[in-house]
Amino acid sequence: MPDWKQEISKQLVGLNLPPCREQEIIEELSIHLEDLYEEIVAGGATPEEASREVLSSLSHSDLLAELRVTERTALIDPIPEGVVNSGHLLADLWLDFRYAARMLRKTPGFTTAAVLTLALGIGANTAVFTIVNTLLLNPLPVEHASQLVAMNTAVSKNTREPVDLRPISFLNLKDYREKNHVFSSLAGYSSLTTLTISTGPESQRLFAEVVTGNYFDTLGIRPQIGRFFLRDEDVTPGAIPVVVIGYAAWQGRFGGASDILGRTIKLNNVAFTIIGVAPEGFKGVNAIFGPDLWVPSMMAEQVLTAQQHNALVDRAMLTFTGAGRLKSGVSLAHAQADLKTIADALEKEYPDTNQGQTVSLEPITEAAIPTNQRQGLLLGSVFLMAIVGLVLLIACSNVANLLLARAAARRQEIAVRMALGAGRWRLVRQLLTESVLLGLLSGILGFFFGYEGCQLLSLFRPAEVAQNFVDPHLNANVFVFVLVVALFTGLIFGIAPALRSSRTPIVEALKEETRTAGRCARRITLANALLMGQVAVSLVLLVTAALFLRSVQREYRMDPGFETKNLAMFMLYPGQQGYDRTRTEHFYKDVRDRLATVPGVASLSWATNLPLWQRTETGIAVEGHEKRNKSEAISSVINTIDLEYFSTMGIPFLAGRDFTEDDRQGATPVAIINDNMASRYWLDQNPLGKRLQLPGQTELRQIVGVVKTADYQTLGEAPRSCVYVPLRQNYSDSMVLYVRFERNPEQIISALQGEIRSIDPTLPINDIRTGTKLIEQALWGAKIGVGLLGVFGFLALGLASIGLYGIMAFSVNQRQREIGIRMALGAGQSSVLSLILLQGMTLVTSGVGLGLILSILLGRTLSKFLYGIGASDLPSFAGASLVLLFVAMVACYLPARRASRLDPLVALREN
Amino acid sequence: MRFHIASLYPLLYRLENRGWIQGRWVEKPNQRRRRYYRLTAQGQKTLAQQRHSWKEFVGAVSRITGVEHA
Repeated sequence: MPDWKQEISKQLVGLNLPPCREQEIIEELSIHLEDLYEEIVAGGATPEEASREVLSSLSHSDLLAELRVTERTALIDPIPEGVVNSGHLLADLWLDFRYAARMLRKTPGFTTAAVLTLALGIGANTAVFTIVNTLLLNPLPVEHASQLVAMNTAVSKNTREPVDLRPISFLNLKDYREKNHVFSSLAGYSSLTTLTISTGPESQRLFAEVVTGNYFDTLGIRPQIGRFFLRDEDVTPGAIPVVVIGYAAWQGRFGGASDILGRTIKLNNVAFTIIGVAPEGFKGVNAIFGPDLWVPSMMAEQVLTAQQHNALVDRAMLTFTGAGRLKSGVSLAHAQADLKTIADALEKEYPDTNQGQTVSLEPITEAAIPTNQRQGLLLGSVFLMAIVGLVLLIACSNVANLLLARAAARRQEIAVRMALGAGRWRLVRQLLTESVLLGLLSGILGFFFGYEGCQLLSLFRPAEVAQNFVDPHLNANVFVFVLVVALFTGLIFGIAPALRSSRTPIVEALKEETRTAGRCARRITLANALLMGQVAVSLVLLVTAALFLRSVQREYRMDPGFETKNLAMFMLYPGQQGYDRTRTEHFYKDVRDRLATVPGVASLSWATNLPLWQRTETGIAVEGHEKRNKSEAISSVINTIDLEYFSTMGIPFLAGRDFTEDDRQGATPVAIINDNMASRYWLDQNPLGKRLQLPGQTELRQIVGVVKTADYQTLGEAPRSCVYVPLRQNYSDSMVLYVRFERNPEQIISALQGEIRSIDPTLPINDIRTGTKLIEQALWGAKIGVGLLGVFGFLALGLASIGLYGIMAFSVNQRQREIGIRMALGAGQSSVLSLILLQGMTLVTSGVGLGLILSILLGRTLSKFLYGIGASDLPSFAGASLVLLFVAMVACYLPARRASRLDPLVALREN
Repeated sequence: MRFHIASLYPLLYRLENRGWIQGRWVEKPNQRRRRYYRLTAQGQKTLAQQRHSWKEFVGAVSRITGVEHA
């Protein structure tokens, strides 16, 4: 038997294969020959015959030629058919990337314009997303937030109405803590309460939260410095006055002093020792507004207002919201069931206070945003995200237009590439790499724009409470968001120009000269379509901003139900200066008597509530209007007032009388209600003489008067019930002094301050609000919103007009020759001017038309958020359109003027 | 059926180069190692496509010639 391998390798001489490949082929073929040989032998032939036959089949074949073809193609093109590719994807990408970077460096003007434009768009998105992320997506810097639940009293159970959530009384909370099987730990925190902090002769006001000793441990927070409350610091009422301060308060109020621990501060005239500082960024459980400091619950009596002094012993005093950490493996539903059993037991045990109450659990991240604000915040966020999305879209189409214009200049380059064998997909990839690189660069810059924007926005927080507001913070979410937006942006604005460029007709393009490159009508059409879209979208944004601006203007002029002009409110909390009841009552009377004599003061009164900051309370009983079931709770604003309150506030009486000196302790308990309450419970009757009972009180109050309903919580709210009770029958140690002036109060206020200081020099009297400022504050959120809308609207307008200018200038440049001929044939400057202007403004007006249609459609959705104007408010639409038309006119005029001043000789010679 | 060496192996190599089949050496005790080929996923796809177009072709031819299947 011959050596097959040798025979085959003789055949392969001249093929010049790589050695290992050759070995493989030889081995494989030799097996074949061997098999063949054995087959022939098995068929009855002699070994010699068989060898001969096999060898002849080998030598008479065209194996060499066949293999040559096969192996040659394998060497040249190892890529399977069907994929046109030049090599490794990653290596290509790196090449593309380097080339893109070189191209961008070579055209710094284009790069700067594109990056800036996109960065503005991305920056706007970053800013809004950072805020949304801070408020809604990732609100609490606590450990394993998913295990934490907030626990509240649900007052009305088994009703179809939304459940009214109220805090839990301290005693109930204690029972829940001891009896539950689902929490590894359960803490409680009060709502914000204002305190007076005295440092030397100066006094200031700040916000505190009363919390149970295990509050920080439950949330899983570690102190910045110092420590949090110990177990034995929250056992005996009033025994250990310690306080934890917030990071912002430490930095702001105490200048970040390193010896802050152990320092003593006077809160409400009680000396507290600072034991720790909360970590940076932690401002309580509320996502928007947090306290300056935390006080252990056993000090509640010292820091809470007089009405809440018995918070620790009165089961009816709903003060604390529970914050519980679920044991591992316990679901929310399971926990809810367990706690409901306890609630039912407590209801049986303490029917007086717990009747009709159960508990409600929700994830703490949801409780971080108060229910009444959640929906508005969510809607606002979605709306703003949509707006900035549109701004980014405009920026994208701007850059797409720039790229299209640049593509004209690059036609030859691309044609050369294609002539050299570049595939279409390969070209598109190359061009897309460039735009993605642009997108990424803009992303980096946009990120900083966004961050700065957030900082800028933070400046608009009301100065006096700025440090209580949550700080917009950057985290991984924001980075990922920006990265995705940047990449996506790069693809969006890059794809159309890239596809367009890659369709360049090679031969034509190669023959063209550079200057006249790109007389492709379709490219201009695409650019025009983009431009029209830009105009339309920016008009939509402008109209939206205008609608909300007009709405807020209307709100300023809205009647809140009381006179805001020449009104000032002084926050005075004598109870927090350690006054006892007699002294406080004396103080109220003193202030009234002495200030009434100051010239310019028309009238003055005291009340517990600040206008537009009034809380509703639940659990009022109306005589003769028995609750059909225990879940039916009447809720109303309750305001404790002094004499002459209504005349000072300018709230008109509808029936009955005002409180008098005789409505004092011991006399018949009385109340005044508003007409909303009167019509709700005594629709066809005279409410005067009817009786009602306030929550937590035993006596029935006789209604002696009915006044007009005002706004109590927000401007333009749905009418609420309100009950007024006389100060002399319902003592409170924290009251607001209302002063009505005969004229502008500015100068008189300081005189009044001096007068109060002469009564007690230690009382803090810095917190003064005028009626107009109150309205300002109430509209603060709306104003910020309108401001943002305005900024984004004008950003869109700016971007769109830059785009318009760019495309017009480009088109004028392209048409130089045509314009030159026109002028040579006798066209005047003005006719060229109007030719170009007409071309631009046709685009703009069609864009405006489209925008108006879109705005009207959008307006229908927006109408329920607007106050006092219709969704198709003419001034808003007309104003926005005019502004846009004017700006667009300028953007078109500049290139048109340049065209009209062309020297036909120069234009024709150059082309 | 007997394949001629000069047509079979170049064909196999070409199919392999296109990624339609893949060969690997398999060693068994007391035997020389042999090369086995199997269809790749891409190969199966191509096969299906080509079968399909062959069927169409055959269908078209039979329609033109009027030859019916038996």
